[in-house]
Amino acid sequence: MSLVRWNPTRELTTWPSGLFGLQREMNKMFDTFFRGTEEDDAAFAAWSPAVDITEHEDAYVVKAELPGVNKDDVKITLESNILTIHGEKKQEKETKKENYHRVERSYGSFQRSFTLPTTVKSDKIEAQYKDGVLTVALPKAEEAKPKQIEVKVK
Amino acid sequence: MENNKYALMPLSSSAITKHQQERTVEPVADIYETNDAFVVKLDMPGSSKEGIKLSIEPDRLSIRGAVGLLFNEKANVTFSEIGWKSYYREFNLGNGVNHEGIEAQFENGVLTITLPKAESMKAREITIH
Repeated sequence: MSLVRWNPTRELTTWPSGLFGLQREMNKMFDTFFRGTEEDDAAFAAWSPAVDITEHEDAYVVKAELPGVNKDDVKITLESNILTIHGEKKQEKETKKENYHRVERSYGSFQRSFTLPTTVKSDKIEAQYKDGVLTVALPKAEEAKPKQIEVKVK
Repeated sequence: MENNKYALMPLSSSAITKHQQERTVEPVADIYETNDAFVVKLDMPGSSKEGIKLSIEPDRLSIRGAVGLLFNEKANVTFSEIGWKSYYREFNLGNGVNHEGIEAQFENGVLTITLPKAESMKAREITIH
């Protein structure tokens, strides 16, 4: 099953750099170098959310961590079987930069794309945002027709 | 996907229990200062108002956040970066904070803790008995 489109920058922080850490990083460098244009789009994003993908009896479910993101700033698009979650996390404007003691959280635009199996009902995709987690449910179908749609976040 | 095999963690359902061990994650934080308070913002997606516990000791502020399983046990995990986790982080508190006035708010997966600056920071008079 081909469901995952991987953003390589994520790997550095999420994978423990154990015994094969160096090898993994080398592979990643080559992967990045020979990558196609779709991935280049994601390279312009400031950060990309962590994701869990699960397969249920009747649906695939994608969960993405988007803490502090306004749900109106989240866009979900489906184009030629590629599901893209993108948007922007706006920085609070209440304080000046010099008053910050520590900045660890990510701001700015984010993007993450996944190649969906062809067996998804593209017109029945639903999304929900709660407690900083976006849940996108993709019901399974016998066949799916390629088209571009925009999914409203509830 | 072939060239990304290192990034994938395909789990069979029997492997879930092995990989679904809860791990503790330190939530990332922003800390800034206003005229009368320090503000700490922590990213704790997946937690809830009820799942978060703040504890204030004389010199320490600690934050614990529980996260429910993001998927039910019957689901087949295709890919996992989030997994099953809980949050924990602690900060040292100096004398400059008014402990009684500490307030917290949880919205969109972000915990905001406001720590008012203490009056003791200001000059005070000491009575001699």
